[in-house]
Amino acid sequence: MMARRVAWIGAVLLAAACVERVSAPGHCPSFCPSGQIEIVDTVLRDVISRDSTFRGYVTAPQSPLLLAADLPGLVDSRAIVRFNGFGQRFVLTAADTGAILGADSARLQLWVARRDSGAHNLTLAFYRLPITIDSTTTFTDLTGPFADSLVKRVNIDTLLARPGHKDTITGDSVVVDTINHVLSLSLKFDTAAARYVGMDSGTVAYGVRVSADSFASIGITKATLAWQWYLRVDSAGTPVARKPISLGKAFASFVFDPPPPPPDSTLAVGGVPSARSILRVAFPHFIRDSSQIIRGTLTLVPAAPARGAPSDSFVVEAHTVFTDVGAKSPIILDATRTDTAVIRVGTSDTVQIEVTNLLQFWASDTTRATTLVLRAREEATSFSLIRFYPSVAPALRPTLRITFVRRFPFGQP
Amino acid sequence: MTRVARVAVLVLLGPALTGGAVAAAQDSQFGIRGLGTPGRWESVRSRSTGGAFAPFDPLSPLTEAPLADVPQLTATAMESASYRDARVSGTTSALRATRFPLLNVAGRVHRRVVVGAGVTTYLDRSWDVTLRDSALLRGVLQRYTDEVTSDGSIADLRLAAAGRLSRRIALGAGLHLLAGSTRETAERRFDDTTFHTVQQLAEVRYSGVGVSGSLLLGVAPGLSVIGWARADNRLRATVADTTSARTDLPRMAGGGMLFSPGPSVRFGGSVAWRGWARAGAGAFDTWSWSAGAEIGSGRMPFRFGVRGGQLPFGPGPTAPTEFAAAAGSGRAFAQGRALLDVGVERLERRGGGLTERVWTALVGITVRP
Repeated sequence: MMARRVAWIGAVLLAAACVERVSAPGHCPSFCPSGQIEIVDTVLRDVISRDSTFRGYVTAPQSPLLLAADLPGLVDSRAIVRFNGFGQRFVLTAADTGAILGADSARLQLWVARRDSGAHNLTLAFYRLPITIDSTTTFTDLTGPFADSLVKRVNIDTLLARPGHKDTITGDSVVVDTINHVLSLSLKFDTAAARYVGMDSGTVAYGVRVSADSFASIGITKATLAWQWYLRVDSAGTPVARKPISLGKAFASFVFDPPPPPPDSTLAVGGVPSARSILRVAFPHFIRDSSQIIRGTLTLVPAAPARGAPSDSFVVEAHTVFTDVGAKSPIILDATRTDTAVIRVGTSDTVQIEVTNLLQFWASDTTRATTLVLRAREEATSFSLIRFYPSVAPALRPTLRITFVRRFPFGQP
Repeated sequence: MTRVARVAVLVLLGPALTGGAVAAAQDSQFGIRGLGTPGRWESVRSRSTGGAFAPFDPLSPLTEAPLADVPQLTATAMESASYRDARVSGTTSALRATRFPLLNVAGRVHRRVVVGAGVTTYLDRSWDVTLRDSALLRGVLQRYTDEVTSDGSIADLRLAAAGRLSRRIALGAGLHLLAGSTRETAERRFDDTTFHTVQQLAEVRYSGVGVSGSLLLGVAPGLSVIGWARADNRLRATVADTTSARTDLPRMAGGGMLFSPGPSVRFGGSVAWRGWARAGAGAFDTWSWSAGAEIGSGRMPFRFGVRGGQLPFGPGPTAPTEFAAAAGSGRAFAQGRALLDVGVERLERRGGGLTERVWTALVGITVRP
């Protein structure tokens, strides 16, 4: 009796066990749904209009890098930096100060964030500059100091070739970050090169020129610049050595020549001060409202080869905006709604930027302005610049290629 | 709560508690390119006889006239679990599904009138098709994987009434509301991820109406015959409140014979015609037949039967065919107030190069509180 009940219960449970697996390979068209996923690929040649270029979004003083370059025919750029001092007296103890008599030496810490590894005999030359340098200082203003105020010269390749990357004579050293490809330089400035002038409150300013056998172009990280004084201080008539805290930059920028040409009818992206191009897209309603976009490509034809140092390839980003108010349109900085393309300096190949994310964003929110902003990913960190033909050039205007899927015929037998 | 009441609760709430919607007794690849797979309007008891007893079974929603013999409030529900091998072009897919295809309640409201209400599957539309293919896009052959799915069914909500005109004649009629929905998706994934994945989905709602009638005659002691007919209107499919399709539904008619030479032996047979060709291209009118028997009475009868016929949807110029053999039994509990029926069915369908072989386990519970 018991066994029969168990058998019954077992049979019922076995039959009632919930199972579900309905996925099977399709054998079309006999055993497939009648509806098909229909893909359309179209090139929209006249949907981009009212495009324009604006310059000045990020200027040299605002750049995170100090650009030093010697690129004949392109640009001559020099980094300039100012460190404020401690004044005329130095705090020896909580109740005692002493006059700063001078400096035995100083040490400059700087990181070379970007360089052309193919450039040999990369040399940095340091010049003493007027401490009055600021954001209005021009290349021409500093022509004199850069001609006659050389205080130090460092050959990076020579320093790297020394044991331990250290020069025991000059006191310079370099550390190579092989992961980030950053050179961390620690450069000693002797008494003559690092003069502590009390009347100037100890403020010093220097300029950096770079040279190499070819393609001399580097970027110095602005945030990590540090200046370490080694001072002599009068302590009750006796000179004593003091090592105060290191100082960060009070001002850092770069000056360059020639200045960038004014914007013309082409669509420029990059350079210093940085240029952006704004393109208005007349997004077709039949695509936006009743289809799903699976790929969108913005095609841009360069008006000239991309300018810049050969090592300074850069990334052009396409953003959309919160609202279109012209040059000051606030762009949406969201990685999921940003599309990019790498620009190789010197090439004039057609540039294609995949803008699928942006088009899908516009399709999902029809209240958004369908405006594209093209800019360099890290603006004003290189002189690289590219110019594209605008929409007024009929044969070479920007075009949009969209691949989309029509609405699937759900509910059809 | 009495034992019978507990069983009743299980019967009525079981499908909901287990998350199973009322859906088809059995899916089929033949239903993908068409309206779906028609449900079988049979209780476990009828299904175990190959469907031969269905026209005479008051708890099978095929006919209404047998409701006249329901003595008291009765409720039934069933579950089926099918294990299906679909073989086409040398490829076999193992598929399985669990469904709750039947829920019926009937009770006497007058000395001569019994009413019944219930829900069963009209068409099952649950399937999932994957496809590997390629297409030329932007001048490059792009390989992709498609997956198109449909999950849901169209239910037949029946309100029926039946009565005995005389000791030998019973008459019944029913009103059918067809309602249901499917959640359908279409997805395409490219190997080249530069092309984003296509993902579309829709909730498709279905509606329609139908009427049916049946006449049961006691020809001689132990011998009954029945005839039935049904006409359904049109099935309207809507997506986002927009009608996407209107499909004509079939007229149907059938009959059956039940012979009981003794109290513990019953033989039955039935035949049915369904005019599915109205549904459009690729649909066929179908004939189906069944024969079965129930031996033994009281606590544990033994049932068996066979059935055959055609399927309404399939590729090619002729309708796919099917043949099935079934067997089962039942067990009464609580002085006959609760019945547990079990059955098993082996089914084979053929057509258009596809062969489906299905094992189906059936469990049904009937309570008479």
